[in-house]
Amino acid sequence: MTDTVVNNRLDIREWVRPSVAISISAVAVAGLLGLVLIFAIGVSVPDALSAFVDGTLGSPYAIAASINRSIAFALVGIGFVIANRANLVNVGGEGQIAVGGIAATAVALYGGAADLPAGLPFLVPLLAAMIAGMIWGAIPGVLKIKVGTNEVISTLLLSFIAVWLLYWCVQSPALLRKPMTSSATLPESLEIPDSTKLPLLTGDYSFPVNIGLPATIIIAIVAGVLLSKTLLGVQLRAVGFNSVAASRAGISYARMVVLALGIAGALGGLAGGFMLLGDQYLLKDGFSSGYGFDGLVAGLLARGSVVGVIAAALLFGFLRSGGINMEMVAGVPTALVMVIQGLIVVTLAGAAYFIGRRS
Amino acid sequence: MTWELFAVFIGSSVRLAVPLLLAGTGELVSERAGVLNMSIEGMMLTGAFGSAVGAWATGNPTLGLLIGIVGVLPVALLQALLSNTLRANQIVTGIGINILVLGATTLAYREIFGARSREQIPGLAKWNPPLLGDIPIFGEAVFQQVWLLYVGIIIIVLTALVLRYTALGIAIHAAGAEPRAVDKSGVSVTRIRYIGVLFAGFMSALAGAFLSIGDIHTFTEGMTRGAGYLAIAAVIFGKWTLSGTVFACLLFGAATALQFQLPTLGVNVPNAFLIMLPYLLALLAVGGLAGRQTAPRALGEAYVRR
Repeated sequence: MTDTVVNNRLDIREWVRPSVAISISAVAVAGLLGLVLIFAIGVSVPDALSAFVDGTLGSPYAIAASINRSIAFALVGIGFVIANRANLVNVGGEGQIAVGGIAATAVALYGGAADLPAGLPFLVPLLAAMIAGMIWGAIPGVLKIKVGTNEVISTLLLSFIAVWLLYWCVQSPALLRKPMTSSATLPESLEIPDSTKLPLLTGDYSFPVNIGLPATIIIAIVAGVLLSKTLLGVQLRAVGFNSVAASRAGISYARMVVLALGIAGALGGLAGGFMLLGDQYLLKDGFSSGYGFDGLVAGLLARGSVVGVIAAALLFGFLRSGGINMEMVAGVPTALVMVIQGLIVVTLAGAAYFIGRRS
Repeated sequence: MTWELFAVFIGSSVRLAVPLLLAGTGELVSERAGVLNMSIEGMMLTGAFGSAVGAWATGNPTLGLLIGIVGVLPVALLQALLSNTLRANQIVTGIGINILVLGATTLAYREIFGARSREQIPGLAKWNPPLLGDIPIFGEAVFQQVWLLYVGIIIIVLTALVLRYTALGIAIHAAGAEPRAVDKSGVSVTRIRYIGVLFAGFMSALAGAFLSIGDIHTFTEGMTRGAGYLAIAAVIFGKWTLSGTVFACLLFGAATALQFQLPTLGVNVPNAFLIMLPYLLALLAVGGLAGRQTAPRALGEAYVRR
């Protein structure tokens, strides 16, 4: 009917049904290889490890920074899993985060959100972020049902477009760049008003975890219930399993595709909103760098399970924090973390074959 | 616009289209054989890195090119192994390989050159073709290009001939459309698809080398910046024909060239929009401008013998 571009759809349950043990061993093997690489580039492994631990668990601040990263990864990953239930692959998290951040900034700074009654100053920008992400995510869905465009390529292209849109927004004083007072004015937005910043759980900047954490936990639970206990979950699965049969059973394929990708996009946009309102406070180029891809990998690793997403998101959140500290303190490039992630994905994709044979 | 500027525009459109043309041709063959090769982005980056390091270490850009090609071989073999022999999901493997390569080349580059270095690297020579190069105004601006471009054109023409007139070409086409029939006729689908992926790797290596030692004579981290995905979009836009893919690549090249050309004409368009333009155009292309899409029927499906 629509899916003429790529017949094989990504189905996590199909491509990898390893026991959790296999995921863990892939992570462990990749981690060990990371250690070998650290050794190979001539950095003392104990130094690197201690820098890593300092960057992840060394202080309340480090822990909070890791958690804030994990939140963004988890939201993108949950969206990935939801879309994937309908056999769709959302590779556009990066762009959805970017448009979410842009929308949140615009509404917080210029949308009059700051003067709203209690709670609304940050809820309205968050809503704007979700809507922006949802639109960005739904476009590939519409293209898919109208002309059969493979959503992998359209979400990827939309990511590039969003990243340059972000660059545009912070470069142009007519958009979100702060007023140019001199030629040295940085290409970034003004800082958002205090009332639009997300409240911190502890109220203390030494442990800056914000309300994004409980919100993400609630979203994860809702997503888990939605996928396993609701009619919508069944419909998504039916469409993913056999779109023709699902249509015969009265489930609208078109609606499911747009809805699933729209939800995934909304969660990506929300991740961008949380990052901006809860952590960064101003928009600048590259504020989403790599977050969307980390979230994607978390979704891939989770094999369709929301709990798995949370675990992978925490892993990557701490991995990234530790990686940044390793670069600053021990001189190990953060690219190492990327090598480890790539190895995990490739290993798991290949491992699916051996597991499939055994079962 | 003066004729001189127009000539420069055409010349830079072609130059910027070359990496897409090379990678797109490779991707086309791979997809026609049935393998959706998302990893050409990573293969291009590997080729760019390998040839830059090779040219820098040996001082000889041609040797660098060869080193780049050899360097891509393991990446292409990994993709071929995963997507054919191990029947892994082709999208997942492609993305995994791209992340891996981006990390590995960045890491290795920092190790070799140090952070933020912009070391100049000996580059491939330009070639001034007889007759064409002597055309007034256009000769130098359009035709005096890195010799790899001309080699690339020859390879693309040869690819067209092989696809159209040879048994191998028919087998490649059939492996993506009716793999079971290919298998029944006694030709190994897996072997054909390995050839497709390895050819895509070879072409991506040339494309990457053109970026680093052909065009800007240096390597920068993640320098392909999605060119591989543009090449994939070009194949879709071209409806899986070589002529269509070539046209799409030239179009994307021209869109990229605009970002350097419009400012010199005094046209005031935001730079960010111009950088975005090729991706926007690619999105429009895959999102309907090309009409209904007619992919090879077995594209993306691993072949399982029964």
